Amino acid sequence: MIKKIYLIGNPNVGKSVVFSRLTGVHVISSNYPGTTVEISKGYLRIGDEKIEVVDLPGTYSLKPTSAAEEAAVSLLQEYKKNEIAVINILDATNLERNLLLTLQLIADGFPVIVCLNMCDEAGHKGVLIDTGKLEELLGVPVIPTCAVTGAGIKMLIDKIKDAAPVAREGFAGQERWTEIGAIVEKVQHLSHRHHTLREMLEDASVRPFTGLLMAAAVVYASFKAVRFVGESIINKITDPIFIELYQPVLEKITANLPEKGFWFHLLIGDLIGGKIDFKQSLGVLTTAPYIEFGMVLPYVISFYFILSLLEDIGYLPRLAILLDSIFHRLGLHGFAVIPVLLGFGCNVPGILATRALESKRERFIAATLISIGVPCIPLQAMIFGLLGRFGGFYVTGVYLVLFSIVLILGIILNRALTGYSPEFLLEIPSYRFPPVLTLLKKLYFRVKGFIVEAIPIVLLGVLFVNVLIYFRLFDAVTSVTAPLIHNLFGLPKESVVALVIGFIRKDVAVGMLMPLGLSAKQLFISSTLLAISFPCIATFVIIWKELGFKALVKATLIMGIISVIVGVLLNFAIL
Amino acid sequence: MKKISLVQLKPKHKGRVAEILGGANLQSRLMNMGIYKGREVTKVSYMGLKGPVVIKVGRGILALGHGIASKVIIEGV
Repeated sequence: MIKKIYLIGNPNVGKSVVFSRLTGVHVISSNYPGTTVEISKGYLRIGDEKIEVVDLPGTYSLKPTSAAEEAAVSLLQEYKKNEIAVINILDATNLERNLLLTLQLIADGFPVIVCLNMCDEAGHKGVLIDTGKLEELLGVPVIPTCAVTGAGIKMLIDKIKDAAPVAREGFAGQERWTEIGAIVEKVQHLSHRHHTLREMLEDASVRPFTGLLMAAAVVYASFKAVRFVGESIINKITDPIFIELYQPVLEKITANLPEKGFWFHLLIGDLIGGKIDFKQSLGVLTTAPYIEFGMVLPYVISFYFILSLLEDIGYLPRLAILLDSIFHRLGLHGFAVIPVLLGFGCNVPGILATRALESKRERFIAATLISIGVPCIPLQAMIFGLLGRFGGFYVTGVYLVLFSIVLILGIILNRALTGYSPEFLLEIPSYRFPPVLTLLKKLYFRVKGFIVEAIPIVLLGVLFVNVLIYFRLFDAVTSVTAPLIHNLFGLPKESVVALVIGFIRKDVAVGMLMPLGLSAKQLFISSTLLAISFPCIATFVIIWKELGFKALVKATLIMGIISVIVGVLLNFAIL
Repeated sequence: MKKISLVQLKPKHKGRVAEILGGANLQSRLMNMGIYKGREVTKVSYMGLKGPVVIKVGRGILALGHGIASKVIIEGV
């Protein structure tokens, strides 16, 4: 009687893809080691039984050397060995390295089924594996699969019931590698292939000169592509929908409401020149949906499309190699580029991804730098939308200021905090060209996640603010803080509302700035301040949960200090 | 043949791991990834500026931080 099924394997062999195939639960998978930092669970139906399936983080060995590996190994020991089935997923393109874990699992008496994944890719690379022979040598069932297309998964499910511990003569320590060498020799046939273009690109991207050139090109092209796709969606799709379809309907519905009344104020907001202005009216039915669907969503789609593409191709680990020496100055190592890039989408998954970093010190530095210096895509979208009018100079300026803050703060944190930065040790995957459908599915889940989380908060947030404004409850706060905000940052007193709203959501906060008629300099300062200062509530909670209350207080203090310094500097010294 | 560290090995050259300096934890981390005494490795590149060293081991490609790479001692083949 099997109570649980565990999926275990080396990092980046496609465990999460197999998991999705078995359970129908979608989890994000990418082409780099350490995508899975949360342990996902789902159910698989075999006959009448419903068995829980657990997707474990990648591990090279049952003797853990990192926190993620430890988590994987300790979960395996929750149940008795005769109550579980262990599906050991192997990357067929690199059989040798994967077999260490397999032999350990078998030797420790786990009921193992080997799932030889990525068989199609191995075939393309001229690697042929005799699965019958491998089965015979290991003594456990071996099923060839290609999880991305689903090939072999049915057979894998059929074999789960057969999982049983086997007695097998084996070795330990370094001799195990000798044994593995002998097994691979017998089951793997390599046909000689010429160097392909892909391999040449793989090599070039990790050499100093060509690598840097490629990185610069990739980063530049990605940024341009995000803006181009985002703007195209806005100009061709969302703006026409809002202005030509939605606005007339809205005007009809509200024709009977008195213009200065409570409900009109709440739903439509202020009329600008006698008309609804989606950017400035500030109503629950006007500006609120426009911010989310008309300004932010297009960029969420374009950003996650480009990010997913880079992830699945396998470029990010190479970027990590190139940036390693810079990140070392900040107390991190190159792998931190992955949480940082995720943070550009939303700080929450970025900070979650810091779980793949080794030490608590590194995680604190990374989380603090992300929450201060990495603006999420909703905030960026609003900055493009507002500052873009004044020219690319201001938009670039915000990024430059944030980048300098990250560098300076990172160097300071690295010197000030006791401890050391662990070293980089990472397996670099081959480039893969993801099936378009896989890519679109991942994009769909990310965009859906954004809509489900953001929309209610945005609508409620705008509603809440409108009620406060209508009853003039903000006036007390704004008049108290007015001298401070005016003298220090050169901002009008109403912008305090925006800075406070920033705690709920950054995009709404920038939205609050839209009707204020700020100058380019004021917009520049307030957008930068919004990016640095308090992270939104979701980021706040995740820092607390992941790193503890003390770390949260420390990070918040740092944020406060930097906001004031940068705000004052920008106001007086630079512009 | 002279013993040198992975950092010093020239790109596109092969070598055999002669020794891994450093503690048991590093040795087992490397062992788990298939780097152990006697293993043949090929260097792909070194980033410079105390950056990582990239090597081929078997069919896999690994990036080792500068500190780790300088503890992996190689003899040429």
